[in-house]
Amino acid sequence: MAVISRLREVAVVRRGNKSDRILLGAIFVLSSIGLMMIYSATRSSGTFSMERQMIFVAAGLIILAVFSNIDYREYRVMLPIISIVTLVLLGAVFLFDPVSDGGVGQAYRWIPLGFFNLQPSEFAKVVVILVLASLLSPERNSDEPPGRQLTWKKVGLALVVVAIPGAMIYEQPDLGTALVFGFVMIVLLFAAGATWRQMLTLIGGVVGGAIAVVQLGLLSDYQLARIQCLVDPASDPTSACYQLSQSMRAIGSGQLFGKGFLADGSMTSFEYVPEQQTDFIFTAVAEQFGLLGSLVVLAAFAIIVWRLLVIAANARDRFGALIAVGVAAMIMFHVFVNVGMTVGIMPVTGIPLPFLSQGGSFYMAMALALGIANSVWLMRTPVPSENQLL
Amino acid sequence: MKFAVRLSLVGLVFITMFSVVGLRLWFIQVAQGSTIAQEATEQTWIQRSVYAPRGDIFDRNGQLLATSRIVPAVVVDRTFIQPDQAQGVVDRLSALLAIDRGHLAEQYEKAGVNGRFEVGSISTEMAYRINEELDDLPGVEIVKIPERIYINGPTAAHVIGHLGLPDASDLEERPDLDPSVRVGKLGIEKFYDELLQGIPGTEEFRVRRGQIIDTRPSVDPVQGSSVVLSIDLGIQEILEMALEEGIQLSNEVKDQDRQNPDREVFSVTERAAAVVLDVDTFEVLAAASVPDFDPQFFVAGIDAEQFALLNEARAFNNLATNGLYPPASTFKAITYTVAMEEMLPLPEQIEGIDPGARQVHCDGTLELPQLADGTPQVKKDWYYPRTYGWLGLSDALTVSCNIYFWSLGLGTYQTYGRGDPRETVIQDWAKMLGYGEKTGIDLVNEADGVVPTRELFEEWKQYQIDNPDQPPRLDPSRLEIASPWLGGDLMDFAIGQGAFTATPLQVAVSYAALVNGGNVYEPRLAKEIRHPDGTVEPVETVLKRTVPISENTRRSLLHDLNRVVTSGTARGAFVDFGEGLEQVGGKTGTGQSVKTRDNHAWFVGVTPIDDPKYVVVVLIEEGGSGGGVAAPVARHILQYLTGNEPTPIVQGDRAD
Repeated sequence: MAVISRLREVAVVRRGNKSDRILLGAIFVLSSIGLMMIYSATRSSGTFSMERQMIFVAAGLIILAVFSNIDYREYRVMLPIISIVTLVLLGAVFLFDPVSDGGVGQAYRWIPLGFFNLQPSEFAKVVVILVLASLLSPERNSDEPPGRQLTWKKVGLALVVVAIPGAMIYEQPDLGTALVFGFVMIVLLFAAGATWRQMLTLIGGVVGGAIAVVQLGLLSDYQLARIQCLVDPASDPTSACYQLSQSMRAIGSGQLFGKGFLADGSMTSFEYVPEQQTDFIFTAVAEQFGLLGSLVVLAAFAIIVWRLLVIAANARDRFGALIAVGVAAMIMFHVFVNVGMTVGIMPVTGIPLPFLSQGGSFYMAMALALGIANSVWLMRTPVPSENQLL
Repeated sequence: MKFAVRLSLVGLVFITMFSVVGLRLWFIQVAQGSTIAQEATEQTWIQRSVYAPRGDIFDRNGQLLATSRIVPAVVVDRTFIQPDQAQGVVDRLSALLAIDRGHLAEQYEKAGVNGRFEVGSISTEMAYRINEELDDLPGVEIVKIPERIYINGPTAAHVIGHLGLPDASDLEERPDLDPSVRVGKLGIEKFYDELLQGIPGTEEFRVRRGQIIDTRPSVDPVQGSSVVLSIDLGIQEILEMALEEGIQLSNEVKDQDRQNPDREVFSVTERAAAVVLDVDTFEVLAAASVPDFDPQFFVAGIDAEQFALLNEARAFNNLATNGLYPPASTFKAITYTVAMEEMLPLPEQIEGIDPGARQVHCDGTLELPQLADGTPQVKKDWYYPRTYGWLGLSDALTVSCNIYFWSLGLGTYQTYGRGDPRETVIQDWAKMLGYGEKTGIDLVNEADGVVPTRELFEEWKQYQIDNPDQPPRLDPSRLEIASPWLGGDLMDFAIGQGAFTATPLQVAVSYAALVNGGNVYEPRLAKEIRHPDGTVEPVETVLKRTVPISENTRRSLLHDLNRVVTSGTARGAFVDFGEGLEQVGGKTGTGQSVKTRDNHAWFVGVTPIDDPKYVVVVLIEEGGSGGGVAAPVARHILQYLTGNEPTPIVQGDRAD
């Protein structure tokens, strides 16, 4: 088996390289904070949310360890198969009954597996990063220099790669996740050498598309209401803006040092913030630990993103580098949009906070992405025999 | 560009994104933190208002008219419902109560997060049933709410009024209203709503996952005050029955008239109004308007169809205070008084008018001076032309001679003319006696009526020229004349016709002032307010003005009003009055509005003549002749007021 032979090879390679301990440390800190926050937000509900999440964290750490030790270069060959499986899974969600998405409506988002509900769109994020990284880097054994400018054809292909799963996820509907793909694509295209003209065309397309969507009335009423909330929080305090106003109250009332973990009388303890253990988990941190706690969490994310960019800079090949950049962009977008929505600078979309929000598929997908990125780090030094290959 | 440079640029963008979020966090948590923290703490407390028992309504003798009983009701409180339970609660509750699911879901949505709303009152049996299921119905409560009871059903419905949930206009007027608590919508219930309602109490608690975990000391509600009305339930009941019978009588007369080719009948009589007023205190002893409604309908929630029917019949309209009619010959008593007090001139050199002897030949027609082109002008006493010969003012009132009162109007018009302030002397008196202005009774939406003058007609003319699309108020030919006010207008005004309109209550007020020596008060329905602490606060009546009427004029008028019922236009209706007819007076009226509608039947009664105490006004809308239809109804009431046995309501003399 190719995988086993590679593992053996990896063992050789790893002699000199160790896992990125700073990266793993940050992940560990965030996961621990996440479990504490889920506990604080759900302890009186009797749903054992924290206990369930512990299982996912354990599974995620195993995934992280395993995928750290698989040579990321293996995936390139398997990408067509991985892509097809992902698309099938994304289509499969429509075969099952829609489930309440925790907000205004129902969505086809999950495949019930009995012990937990698989959410293929989370794993699709990782797959899209791999496919884009592969597309935008030179063939493994080609003579193509990595620094060459991108062709318009590749830009077009990248759009197709993102558009197909993006459209399927948008149909679930899950606008937020579809937007992750767009951000990751733009960052990767830039990193891979897109020209300024290409970048301007893309960004112009995004802006123009957004205007067109609003003008043509393609946004549903609740989506418009959520945007309206940002401008005028009083526009509908009973439903659409309620989450936002409650979230901002919880965060604001944390002040500099917070009310303390599990503090009596906090909004968290009263479960006054809807969806707090999932999309609004950051409010639990900010209320209980204040600005200091918030900044610790932001700093941990900044460390992760920083380490991912370092991994990209040190990667042995362009494919690995682009994987690390893609994962960094994905994490960055989640943090910005999620925290941004809790503090009222981004509209409310169903984008969770990596390593903190409750959710099995999401945690495991993030662990998978970081595992692959760690593998890029472990593989950064070419083994002597491989030097010829490049 | 090198890859490393591109990576640095990506890093720069990411740093910017982190900074934006970090700055925003600093702004919310530190810059605005303490303000938001205060709000958040307060928000964990949920405030609920506690119903204050509404005050009762009594009649002047302490008879209970409206009170409240405690009934079970279903309330849904969203504080105690988790989002995933909402569907189930709405489904189950709508099935149990057999109500529309969509409507309930809408109420639920409208109540908002942590909101609370009343689904409705329920029977005791239903309360037991729901009670058994409460474990499966989170957020559903059986509470005890006060429900209004109107002891006498539709009796005095327009006076008492009814309750309803506050609508947009109520909330705009009184923003502090609890939208789930019913408020007065009509009548006393509305006018004295703030007194009756009391002050709701509050209770505050904190809830965690549907369980109350903490409470603050509650504020007890303060019971509403009770209102004691000046209404006498006995008189009110007799009055309402008499009005119904009067309407019946009017329709019987109309049935006969339909057989008679000389008489025209246009409609079926359906509406009537009456007022009994104390002339010294201006307390309203009874006030009725037909058709009426049962205020109890609104308690359980009136259905739309029933409401539409009642609304179409104008059943919610209190004709006694809102109905506007030409006061017709009832107004002759006012013209009579002005003629005596102001020595109104009679026209010179007209055949059949003797200004020296102050007599007019009442033979049914009045020949006016020829117009410039030689056209003769003859004004006919259109309705019941009879020949009475030469009459003075007293006799003219007794037989309701139009020609005499026209002559007074014409004489005034000719003598004073345009520009002389005395041209409006009759209108000025009418206004002093309360016409053309709200009486100020303690009811809402009172009508004020029209007292036509040259000034008003000129205003109307201008308006009509400026707004040709609006329905015209003046005949188009009037627009051609320099001043649209003509002698005929003042002549018609002197007999209570033309553009002149008034409410039955205004007529009662004017007579009360004529016979009490000139005092015009604001009429009152409420006599006293009984506060929950036991104190009693009398409701003050306001003296609007005193009109100078000499004792001689007053006595003369009372004497002639008595002659109306003994030998004048109401003689027939009062034949069976019984003892004490010498202490009763009155005036008939037959009001024309438009030629294609039946006449309005009026009667104003006064008793006792020596020292008047009561004024009774009866109006039967499009009921026919005042003497024939309205007088017998008023006679029935006057019999009751003077201690006689009221005799059946049968047709009186056909006279106006």
